[in-house]
Amino acid sequence: MSALKVNNLYRYFGALQAVNGVTFEIPHGSVCGFVGANGAGKTTTMRILATLDYPTLGSAEVCGINVVHRPAEVRRLIGWMPDHFGNYEHMTVLEYLDFYARALGYKGRERRERIQEVMDFTDLVPLADRFSNQLSKGMTQRLGLGRALLHDPQVLVMDEPAAGLDPKARVELKHLIRVLAKEGKTIFISSHILSELGEMCDSLLFINNGRIVHHGDAETLKRGSDSVGGVLYDVQVDGDPQAVSDWCVLQPNVEFLEARKNGGRIRIDTQDPAKAADVLARMVKDQLRITEFHREQRNLEDAFIDILGRLDAGQEAIAQARPAALVKISDP
Amino acid sequence: MPLIFPTDFSDRLAPMLVKELRQGMRAKTFIAVFLSLQVFLGVMLFSAGAAASSDQVGSLISGIIFTFFAVAVLIVQPLRGISALSSEVKGNTIDMMVLTRLSAWRIVFGKWVAIVGQSALLFSTIIPYLILRYFFGGMNLFGEMVFLFLMFFTSMALTAITVGLSGCTSAIIRALLPALGPPALLMFVLEGGLFRNSSNFIDLFSLNNDYSRIGVACYVALITYLGGSMLSLGASLIAPAAENHSIIRRLVALVAMFVILCLCVFGKLPREALVLLMGVITVPAITIALTESAPLVQTVCKPFVRRGRVGKALGCFFYPCWSSGVLFSLLLGSMAICCWFLITLDPPFLQSIRPAWPAAGRSYWNLEETIVVLSLLGGLFFPSVWQIFLFRGDGQRVAHYLLLLVGSFLVLGVFVALADSMNSGNFLWFFAWNPLVFIAMVMESKIEEHVILVGVVIVNLILTLILFVRALMELRSYSPVIKEAEISNLNEAG
Repeated sequence: MSALKVNNLYRYFGALQAVNGVTFEIPHGSVCGFVGANGAGKTTTMRILATLDYPTLGSAEVCGINVVHRPAEVRRLIGWMPDHFGNYEHMTVLEYLDFYARALGYKGRERRERIQEVMDFTDLVPLADRFSNQLSKGMTQRLGLGRALLHDPQVLVMDEPAAGLDPKARVELKHLIRVLAKEGKTIFISSHILSELGEMCDSLLFINNGRIVHHGDAETLKRGSDSVGGVLYDVQVDGDPQAVSDWCVLQPNVEFLEARKNGGRIRIDTQDPAKAADVLARMVKDQLRITEFHREQRNLEDAFIDILGRLDAGQEAIAQARPAALVKISDP
Repeated sequence: MPLIFPTDFSDRLAPMLVKELRQGMRAKTFIAVFLSLQVFLGVMLFSAGAAASSDQVGSLISGIIFTFFAVAVLIVQPLRGISALSSEVKGNTIDMMVLTRLSAWRIVFGKWVAIVGQSALLFSTIIPYLILRYFFGGMNLFGEMVFLFLMFFTSMALTAITVGLSGCTSAIIRALLPALGPPALLMFVLEGGLFRNSSNFIDLFSLNNDYSRIGVACYVALITYLGGSMLSLGASLIAPAAENHSIIRRLVALVAMFVILCLCVFGKLPREALVLLMGVITVPAITIALTESAPLVQTVCKPFVRRGRVGKALGCFFYPCWSSGVLFSLLLGSMAICCWFLITLDPPFLQSIRPAWPAAGRSYWNLEETIVVLSLLGGLFFPSVWQIFLFRGDGQRVAHYLLLLVGSFLVLGVFVALADSMNSGNFLWFFAWNPLVFIAMVMESKIEEHVILVGVVIVNLILTLILFVRALMELRSYSPVIKEAEISNLNEAG
């Protein structure tokens, strides 16, 4: 049985198709990254899984329990961490967790033990007496994680937990997620920082316009999405970096991908190193003052851009029409 | 490192109450009200004691205590509830609460209890001043205590109104409440403060005659119902789509109206009390029913669908959406009209049944009052008809409805003033599509009352017909969800 199973999920807000036939499964104990542009449908899908929203059509299950039919049972299995949440005025970190522990039904010693455990794990003990609305973003996220873990959920759904965090807080959060993954929790996490997801996740889901456009592990994703082929190179020059892109425009088999501080990133559409050497020779011949020329690995951003590019180019026809069964449903 | 856990509240207390009390007792508003009440009462008491002659001083002290207490518990404390739920919605914390074992009702109730608890604390702090006042003499102890308790009950109801409406995220509504509420209440408080100097005023609360007892009992029943309705509205506004809070609220309203119908036939309550009870039950119930905007999901439909055709028919009155609210409102409105005719006409067949109907055999029929009642009832449906055309797919039904309602009453005020200044009400027929305009016509005595009655009946019928047809269309559009619920029930049974 999968930890999360989503089948043909639709969610419409009036005329807006937020989620458009999403289907995926995530096995127990795995970490899955959920990637997509703003408005792609990530948060809506996650909210449905967390029983905070409901599907217009289709089903979603957490550990085999339907989120619409038995939401109370799902809530016991799931820990939800939204991208943004306000903290309470006049309430300390300890009182904050105490309130949620009470609300989850913990009493007396059990409650104190749970809070102690969670605060130790998230390293919040030194902040116990600080008012929760006076915490930094990183501390707030740790508090949010602590709250989500209070009832020891099997599945953790995290909506962009690293958004707005400084590098140190991001590293700390990443560490906590790794520890949770080692403990065997299923983690479904969305983020815009693809490199971090690549490091943490067993699999990645790409969503675009409410549809899943790719599901696989990071390596497969990098290879599988490479429909264009070729090899990527970082080129640095002494002088005007614009010269690199101008030069690429005139070259067959060379594509300029993105500008960088002193040059740019290019794609040479062959795997043959000799051809790359030819390109470098031509650059030198054409008086580009090359200071650096090295091969780069395809990263997840490349994969994501490739997939989106393919979609834009119409390589994957997407049926945008609403299912007939939905037409009569009145949208709230 | 072991933590030192707070031991300020027992495990037995509701989590929401603990949270709200922890936050509320540290809030500057509460501390300021608490301290200033003590300082004002102390200073005023001593200066009044020094300045006034002995036969006046007791009454003066009571006036001061009641006025300051009224400002604190009828204005300041209820206003604290105005952002109780909206702050949770805006801060994204309501989602996290919903994921715990707290239901929407417990969240709203906890918030209300916490503010009421703080008001009770204020109430307890004025007791020493009342004891002091007792020694100045001339005190109707029982009457003043009842008056004080009624004031506290009123504070509870007002807090319930603000907490309930705070679930509405519209800033306009939450801004209107502090803008309009306190001036109106302040007038009431000051007028009450002046009034209460006369011994007759406090005698109203002494419970030593039927009039006083019935009056106090009706008032307590009304504010309890009103407070409960508003808290239930707040729960509806923040509840997940799978929870149906409408069914209890609507059943309570129907049962209450049925009790009033029975009282009209068998009871011996004064006519004024029955009319008041009827009005206070009808207005919030219809207002809330017409403004519910929860999307209908199969979880809500399943219990109804399980009971076959009867269940489905009941669902048309009890689903938590405005379309079922229209059918429910028409039913409740019809019952209210029946009550009105039973109260006013005193039909002969009832004269033998009624035990001790005040002035039995006498008809209270009054055309003017009937027109006003019908206009007010139509006035409740009027904003909802506008909403159909102006705000389709409306997510802010409560806010828009209340704005339209307030607007139509303001228009009524303008028309009354215009008709009065022009000394003619004929122009009002151009605006007769708004049922409230008929009230202005009644006040302009030159128009024939029977004509006005026919007018208001026709306009009300048109409005209800529009709403009824639109509600049926809306209910029909839910058929896929209801079918899905049927399939789900069959699967579960299988």
